[in-house]
Amino acid sequence: MKGSGELAKFSRRRWLKTLLGFGAGLAMHPAKFLAWAADMTPARDESTLTVRVSRPFDAETPVRAFTSFLTPNDHFFVRSHFGPPSAETIGESQWTLHVGGAVERSNEFTMESLKQFEPVTITAVLQCSGNGRAYHRPKAPGVQWERGAVGNAQWTGVRLRDVLQAAGVRAEARHVMFQGADRPVVATVPLFVRSIPLEKALHPDTLLAYEMNGRPLPLLHGAPLRVITPGWMAESCIKWLTHIEVREDEASGYFMQTAYRVPVKSEQKDTGRTDNATAPVEVMPVKSLISSPEDGQAVMAGGVRIKGVAWAGETRIAKVEISIDEGNTWQTAQLVGDDRLYAWRQWQFLWQATVQGTFAIVCRATDERGHVQPAATSWNPSGFLWNGWDRVTVRVHPHE
Amino acid sequence: MNRSRVIVVQIGLLVFSAVMAFSQEDPESVSAMLGPRGEGLIIARCAVCHSADLITQQRLSRTRWEATIEKMKHWGAEISDQEADLLIRYLSARYHPNAPANVPPLSHEIGKSEPLKQEPQAQRPVIGVAARGAGVFEHNCQACHGGGAMGGMGPRLAKNPILKLDVLFRETVLYGRGPMPAWSSVLSEQDIADVHEWLLTR
Repeated sequence: MKGSGELAKFSRRRWLKTLLGFGAGLAMHPAKFLAWAADMTPARDESTLTVRVSRPFDAETPVRAFTSFLTPNDHFFVRSHFGPPSAETIGESQWTLHVGGAVERSNEFTMESLKQFEPVTITAVLQCSGNGRAYHRPKAPGVQWERGAVGNAQWTGVRLRDVLQAAGVRAEARHVMFQGADRPVVATVPLFVRSIPLEKALHPDTLLAYEMNGRPLPLLHGAPLRVITPGWMAESCIKWLTHIEVREDEASGYFMQTAYRVPVKSEQKDTGRTDNATAPVEVMPVKSLISSPEDGQAVMAGGVRIKGVAWAGETRIAKVEISIDEGNTWQTAQLVGDDRLYAWRQWQFLWQATVQGTFAIVCRATDERGHVQPAATSWNPSGFLWNGWDRVTVRVHPHE
Repeated sequence: MNRSRVIVVQIGLLVFSAVMAFSQEDPESVSAMLGPRGEGLIIARCAVCHSADLITQQRLSRTRWEATIEKMKHWGAEISDQEADLLIRYLSARYHPNAPANVPPLSHEIGKSEPLKQEPQAQRPVIGVAARGAGVFEHNCQACHGGGAMGGMGPRLAKNPILKLDVLFRETVLYGRGPMPAWSSVLSEQDIADVHEWLLTR
C-alpha cells in the first residue's frame, strides 16, 4: 500500500493499539479481561473515534466531527465482520479483481488495468444500517451504535457499469454479487457476501472506489477497492473487493438471506425472528443530526448557533426543522453549503436562548419526496434503519 | 366457608408463594453465582472470534440470548449443551433488558474466575489418551492452533519443543501465557493430558 502519511500512520497506530490491547486482554485473568472489556464499552478514543468493539474493530465518529462537510478518513466510522484481510491477499502485486458469472467474458483486473476506465468522483454519505441501534426499544442484538456510524466522504473510482459492460452482461442477469478478501477466524462462519439488483449495479453513480477524500483507500475502509452504492446503506459497499459475480438471483448465504433484512410490515415482537416477509436493507431513510452544540454542553444565554447535517438516500433534503419544546412547535433551519445528491446537507439555526435552564433541542428533516423524519423509527428485530428525531440537551447559563 | 377451610387455603397460598419465590431466580445472585464459570466460558468459547465487549454491551431477553447462542453454535462456536445452558442463564441474568447501561465489572465482585471442578485428584499422574485428545484439540484448540496443530493465529504445536516440558505445557493451558487465554474453567486435567498425548503423535 502506498497509503503513507497520516492515514497509514493512523491505521498502524490503531492496529498496534488494538492488537496490543487484544494480546494483553487474553494474557489477563478472565475476570480482569472482562473488566477491561467493560471499561472499553463505550470507551472514548482520546481524540478521534468511539470504540464499540475492540476485535473485530468497530468504532463510531463523535458527532462533533460532523461540523465539517467531509468527514476526514481518520475520523470516519469503522465497521466490518471479520476485520481487514491479511496483507498477502490485498497487496498491490497479489490483488486482482475477478468478474464472472452471467457475463460474456470473465475478466481479471489488476489495479492498473482497472484504472483504464474513466475515473469518477462522487461525494456520498456512508452509513451503517445499525447506526442508532442503541435507541430501539426493546433493545436489538448487535453493535450498540449511537449517532456516529455515518460519515460523508468523496469517493473516487471507476463506474461498476463500465466494468460490467466490458465483461458483457447476459440477458438473464438480475443481480450482482460482491465478495471481499476478509475471512472469519473460524471457517464455519459464513463469508460476508452481498448482492445488489442489476439496476443499481448499472447506475452510472455506483462506483468501485480506490480513493477516499483524495487519498488511497485506507486499510480499515477497504483497501485497495470497495463498492460505493450512493444513497444505500453501507452493507452493500463491500470492502477489500476481490470478486464480482453477475447472477440471476440474489446472493445466497446468511448475510444476504437472513441478516441485513427488515420486515416488509412493521412489527413489535421480541422473539429474535420474524414470520413476516422481509426485504434487504437498501435505501437510507431521511435523517438529520445535531453536531453542535454537543449533548450536555453549557451555552451562554443569547444567540446560540445550532449546526448539523441531514441526508436522504437517493433524493435531496427539502427542509430541516428545530424544536425546543419536544416537537410541539417547529422552526425551519437554514440549509447551507454544498447541495449534492447523495452527500449530506449542512444546516444551521440561530436559537434565541433567553431563558436560563435545561433545554432539549430536537431536529427533524424532510426530503424532496415528502418523507419526514419520525419521532421514533418503527421497531425491527435487528434494530436497523434508526432515523428518529435527533436530540441534544443543553444548559443555558445567564450572561455574566 | 368454615374456618378450617380458610386455614387450608391460607396454608396453600403460603406454600405456593414460597415455591414461587424459590423458583424465581434473582438475577443478581444468579449472575454472581455463575459469573466465575461464565466468564471463563466467554473467554474460551466466544473471544476466539470477537472481543467480550461485543457481549457486555448487549441488553437482551432470555429468548434472544438463546437465539444468539444457537446462532453462534451453528456458526461453529464450540459450546456444549451444558455450557450453552450456563451461558444463557448467566447472560440473561446479567445483561437483561432492564440492566443498567454500565454493569460493573464482575471482577470487583468475585475476585477470580473459578476453575473447572476437577475430578478427585489422583495421587499418581493422569495418563493421557491420544485418541481422545484429538477430539479435545479439535473442539478447543484448533481455532487458534490450526488443523493438525500446524499453527494458525497461535503457534504450531506439532513437534513444538514445549511438548517435552510437561509441567510448562500443563501450566500454559491452565493459566494461559502471552495472548493465550487460561483454559482452567473449561479443560480438565484429563483433557489436558489427552491433548498432550495426541500432540506427541503429530
